[in-house]
Amino acid sequence: MQQLMAHLLNHINYILGNNSSGEIAKLRTDMNLRDEVGLDSFDMAELTVRLEMEYGIDIFEGGVVYTVGEILRKLEKENVKE
Amino acid sequence: MSRNKLFFFDTAKNKEYTFEDLFKGLNQLNSIPAYIHTYDYFEIFLLITASLIHQKHVTLLDFDFRESELLKLGLTGESLGNQISLSNKILVDKNNFYNLLRNSTGWELTLFTSGTTGQPKKISHSFENLTRMVKISDIKGNDVWGFAYNPTHIAGIQVFFQALLNLNSIINLFGQSKATVYSLIRKFNITNISATPTFYRMLVPHDENFNSVKKITSGGECFDQNILELLKKVFPGAKILNIYASTEAGSLFSSKSNTFTLNAKNKDFVKIRNGELLVHKSLLGFSDVLGIEDWYNTNDMVEIIHEDPLTFRFIYRKNEMINVGGNKINPNEVEEILNRYPGVNLSKVYGKKNSILGNILMADIKTDNENITEKELKSFLKDYLQPVKIPRVINLVNTIETTRSGKLKRI
Repeated sequence: MQQLMAHLLNHINYILGNNSSGEIAKLRTDMNLRDEVGLDSFDMAELTVRLEMEYGIDIFEGGVVYTVGEILRKLEKENVKE
Repeated sequence: MSRNKLFFFDTAKNKEYTFEDLFKGLNQLNSIPAYIHTYDYFEIFLLITASLIHQKHVTLLDFDFRESELLKLGLTGESLGNQISLSNKILVDKNNFYNLLRNSTGWELTLFTSGTTGQPKKISHSFENLTRMVKISDIKGNDVWGFAYNPTHIAGIQVFFQALLNLNSIINLFGQSKATVYSLIRKFNITNISATPTFYRMLVPHDENFNSVKKITSGGECFDQNILELLKKVFPGAKILNIYASTEAGSLFSSKSNTFTLNAKNKDFVKIRNGELLVHKSLLGFSDVLGIEDWYNTNDMVEIIHEDPLTFRFIYRKNEMINVGGNKINPNEVEEILNRYPGVNLSKVYGKKNSILGNILMADIKTDNENITEKELKSFLKDYLQPVKIPRVINLVNTIETTRSGKLKRI
């Protein structure tokens, strides 16, 4: 879980950095992706593509996710190896 | 109308403007710019209203057009600075405002739609065209609009007129977070929301429900049943309508689902040929580039469900435009800029299906320089293109498929 979290943080900071937004230092599972992590709908769309390219999973398939924890649970459910 | 009735709430500035502020602004103007190009929503609304009352033809430009994009439209700093004098003094107040708006017979507004060759098309609309689907009644006088479109695009202008002609309050929801949108609906008792399916996808599912909202309209992209069901739960008292509109024609049809049925009024002005929807020129705005044919090809491919009355549903766009969250992006325009970057041999910009935006913009780059980074390419594009036109994911690839005539293979 910790490794997946660190990996997700890298992806998020890559997106925020590429799009001229400030990077974040740490993720918590209860963080809201939009209001606390600072991802807008375009950033979230990009995150789904990057995670899909890496893990083959569309994290938004079957409904919008709102928190860091929900993404991690989706990845874990699909048996993504850390 | 009460003296201090709210006209517009600018969410980004946390600032309220009353109708009195609007009248005061109108009465202070001695001239208006020929090209409206500003980030300030209130100023956009004020200038459109002034042009309408004084019957002056103005052009509305996307506020985030870059200098190079404006140059393509033939607009330089000098022409952008052109002012139109308002020599006839018209003193606006709450008693004459409505009649002044309705007497605008000679007025025209020009806007730009994404062109198929990288060159945006200029379309001029009359007041009648822009207000074709506007409904005015006493009952609508207390409506409060959640404004969720870009105010320089046709959908935003049509919502603005629907609200203005009923002297309604407008609350800006465009670009706001889900939490802010819901807090604004609660605070201002918003009754009507008009937005793209992408906007609604970000709002649902949600645990609360809001009874103040009585009408929801969706447009700009294909509407799906899933959003419809989720919206019904959050807004149980709302009538939900799907609108078909285009920059060339304005709003044309509305429906409660994904299928549209032509009413008697539209019957003779719309037809389907080889699966494509055609609209009669009498429904269109004026443009030099639309041609002189009687029927305009919308490039929208439809499936006929019933012949009489004609009922159909949209399947796909015939041309190459990529719909990213309701914004139509022309891949040719983005590729043209990408190909200018040193070391880029060829680029291909395309849409990838995405559950949030409908499509997300992607690019493949063929280059000999392995040191090129995604970040530097994006930063280069930012100087030339609106943010929405910048591919979110850029891949460095070894080959890009082309057709036999050397064109990019798009499908």
